Amino acid sequence: MKNVATVNVDRGPIPWTERIYLGPIVRGLGVTLRHFLRNVFGKRDVATIEWPEVKRQYSERLRGRHILTTKDDGSLRCVACYMCETACPANCITIVAEEDPEAPVEWEKRPLLYEIDLLRCVFCGFCVDACPKEAIIMSRQHEMAFSERSEAVVGIEELRQKGPIEDEDLGYRPYF
Amino acid sequence: MRQPDGSSSFLTTRVDAMLGWVRKNSLWPLPFGTACCAIEFMSVVSSHYDLSRFGAEVVRFSPRQADLMIVAGTITDKMAPVVKRIYEQMAEPRYVISMGACACTGGFYRAYHVVQGVDEFIPVDVYVPGCPPTPEALMHGILKLQDMIQNGETQHDRLKHGKPDTTATAG
Amino acid sequence: MTVSSTESPTQRPPLADPFPEGSVAAVEQAADGHTVLTVDRSHLLDVLRRLREKPELACDLLADVCGVDYPDREQRFDVVYHLGSLEHGHRFRVKVPLGEDDPVVPSAVGIWKAADWFEREAFDMFGIRFQGHPDLRRILTHEAFHGHPLRKDYDPSQRWLLTEKDTMAPRWATEDQPDDEHMDTVVLNLGPSHPATHGTLRTVVRLDGEHIVKAECEIGYLHRCFEKMSETHGWQQVIPYTDRLNYCSSMINGVGFALTVEKMLGIEAPPRAQVVRVILSELSRIMDHAVCLGANLVDLGALTNFWYFFQIREEIYGLLEKCAGGRLTVSYARIGGLAHDVPADFEDEVRKLLDSIPKFLDDVETLVTTNRIFRDRTEGVGVISGEEALAWGWTGPCLRASGIPYDVRKAHPYMGYENYDFEVPVATTGDTYARYLVRMEEMRQSLRIVRQALDNLPDGPVITDDHHVALPPKEKVYTEMESLIWHFKLIFEGIPVPAGEAYGFTEGANGELGYYVVSDGGGKPHRIKVRPPCFAIYQAFPKILEGLMIPDAIAILGSLNIIAGELDR
Ligand code: SF4
Ligand code: SF4
Ligand code: SF4
Repeated sequence: MKNVATVNVDRGPIPWTERIYLGPIVRGLGVTLRHFLRNVFGKRDVATIEWPEVKRQYSERLRGRHILTTKDDGSLRCVACYMCETACPANCITIVAEEDPEAPVEWEKRPLLYEIDLLRCVFCGFCVDACPKEAIIMSRQHEMAFSERSEAVVGIEELRQKGPIEDEDLGYRPYF
Repeated sequence: MRQPDGSSSFLTTRVDAMLGWVRKNSLWPLPFGTACCAIEFMSVVSSHYDLSRFGAEVVRFSPRQADLMIVAGTITDKMAPVVKRIYEQMAEPRYVISMGACACTGGFYRAYHVVQGVDEFIPVDVYVPGCPPTPEALMHGILKLQDMIQNGETQHDRLKHGKPDTTATAG
Repeated sequence: MTVSSTESPTQRPPLADPFPEGSVAAVEQAADGHTVLTVDRSHLLDVLRRLREKPELACDLLADVCGVDYPDREQRFDVVYHLGSLEHGHRFRVKVPLGEDDPVVPSAVGIWKAADWFEREAFDMFGIRFQGHPDLRRILTHEAFHGHPLRKDYDPSQRWLLTEKDTMAPRWATEDQPDDEHMDTVVLNLGPSHPATHGTLRTVVRLDGEHIVKAECEIGYLHRCFEKMSETHGWQQVIPYTDRLNYCSSMINGVGFALTVEKMLGIEAPPRAQVVRVILSELSRIMDHAVCLGANLVDLGALTNFWYFFQIREEIYGLLEKCAGGRLTVSYARIGGLAHDVPADFEDEVRKLLDSIPKFLDDVETLVTTNRIFRDRTEGVGVISGEEALAWGWTGPCLRASGIPYDVRKAHPYMGYENYDFEVPVATTGDTYARYLVRMEEMRQSLRIVRQALDNLPDGPVITDDHHVALPPKEKVYTEMESLIWHFKLIFEGIPVPAGEAYGFTEGANGELGYYVVSDGGGKPHRIKVRPPCFAIYQAFPKILEGLMIPDAIAILGSLNIIAGELDR
């Protein structure tokens, strides 16, 4: 074998200082006592987050529930190009396209149906990466729970962005 | 809130309300952790999130002493009989939270050895999406279950009052 | 620099014809540095034995045995053996083509013990029969399963249901023991749902009093069909699946896979991506060891450490979430680099971690390392010698605890590991305590690497600009037609990985994590075989147990760090 730099971590037989058991125990108790005292009287760097009163601040890359973004006039940006559906490893996006009657150019499409099964979704963000229109992004909303499986299949109305984009709790989206 | 047929026909008696209140604040979870979600479940019970603040600190690994089963992780066909058996051993009333995409629907494992959702063989009260769900999401699910217990909307209550079990056919 | 040699990662072995005339049908030097031998099955055992025993070859590590299905070929299956020599550093791949109607090869169990479970897996997945194997049964799928799922003609979603009455127990567990020396022996089932088995592991033991006389492991309770799923998804889409192999250190898995495919494509990730990968991989390694040791100590009754370790882990999670957007399943690596650049405050955040992690490690050391109760419970428990461990295919911290300093980062450096100054911790006793010590020291060494990497973090892009491989930057996709077309092609057609194969291996948290990737030139992999380090380690577990007691079994199991996601895939 090639000569590699190694460090031996063997500790050999238990020395008598450890054998009598007292030293290590006192030191061990010291450690826990230090943590205890510091938390009670000192800095109070308690690790526990008092959820739900206090929320942990997640970064703006957190992959939460999806948002379908809209243009200024309130229509969806999505052009039903199926790229997100293709890129999704979980196959949880269902799109049905229709001709967009309001489009300035011919054969523009828009989604008639756009559904995501949130219970299938693995929140990998591949749909966001795949979208060429920034039509699908993710929010930081991750506290979800459903009592029926059908409740979790969300469509355009649930996913559509509500109000101006700055007001959404924005999570993972394309970074420039 | 979410009565399957929209009715509010059954009377919630005082005793029921009392029992609901007691039950909701003393859930004894049995984590049935198999995979990655189980690791996130550990976060929920450890220092940063500390589930005990919701009266559910006594994590039991014995089904006989638990009334809330948290299925955390992928359930495979090989594991399915074990899950079912453990569920049957739990004391009534028993509740099930299915945590994570895999337990809820199979997630992105549409595969030859993976159960496509534990509701194939046990009734599920709350589905928590995510892969894995964040600790907050799971705690949110537990709070939701507490509400459901209080309002008598769990699968246990539905069965007791003869309401059809709607989840088994959904999805 | 402590490593003197900087030769190419895999040396060429001397092939001064150590094999008798006519036994090897073809020799080929593959692009991934392996020497590929094609052998007819009648000569297989002879060739394998020579590979192991000839001093100039000395292939002491059987890394993997797997099958590959080529439905269009006349001889439909290949059985592939991956061999390595720790002494010489060279690697061999031995292939045996087999026809569909007679898929039988002689078993290599007599040469390497490690072949045992790997051959069972190949049988389960492809129906290849290994003649002379002591116990050729299904291993990952269940009893009621029909067919061999990794054959190309098996429908990926075809399930078979198992009912409770067909659940299995080893044959010896139900037999009466005709041994009248003993009053009675008891069969005990640990798992698959048992608090001390860390996930879905099942061990059946026969107890004589307090002592284990026989043990057997049953695995596959978390067999999520990673390999089949990867064949139905595009190259890039496999990354989220790799995250869920060893979910305690998901970054390392993704990086290992990306490196292997990059090797096949002949590209390299930009320098900045490499260094960020190193930093996050090493932090993931710390996290993995922290979970392993924390859980191990809980099983031994030391709960406080668990909280300290979890604080380390929670802080690293915070960092990963800031970079990748996910805490556990990061999906951050991409073929060709990383999904996106690290956030602006990355350096400060990592430096904070570099300050805080050693404090927790010191606390744990004070509580545990010199504690006599802990030492008494772990010293001399679960001893395995170096040769024995290697014969079972062990790698990683568990092997190093038995005195063999094999570390892929040193032996076959990748991602610039040769430029970092770090040491490989080894212990000689090979017991549970040694494994604890090795892991503790490894965390400190990983911190050293992170510190050096952070000091030399280059600027620049984090993903290759080869648009056959990586999506073009978003602002170009929105504005330029050409980029949009590249984007479109990549999403719908996938990465054109040239037809061929490669075995890429990295140092996972548990040892050598190998990916054997076969491409047919399409947008989806033809076959991906993962060489999970735990798989080899866990198959030796029943042998270690014999003669020990149940509490020891729990202590040993924790120290082996078996991650079910990686074990069963
Ligand atoms: S986040 Fe991933 S799994 Fe979910 S919809 Fe998007 S691509 Fe599909
Ligand atoms: S990729 Fe974007 S534009 Fe295309 S269908 Fe999906 S959301 Fe719509
Ligand atoms: S839902 Fe995701 S994180 Fe949870 S077990 Fe399944 S793959 Fe793992």
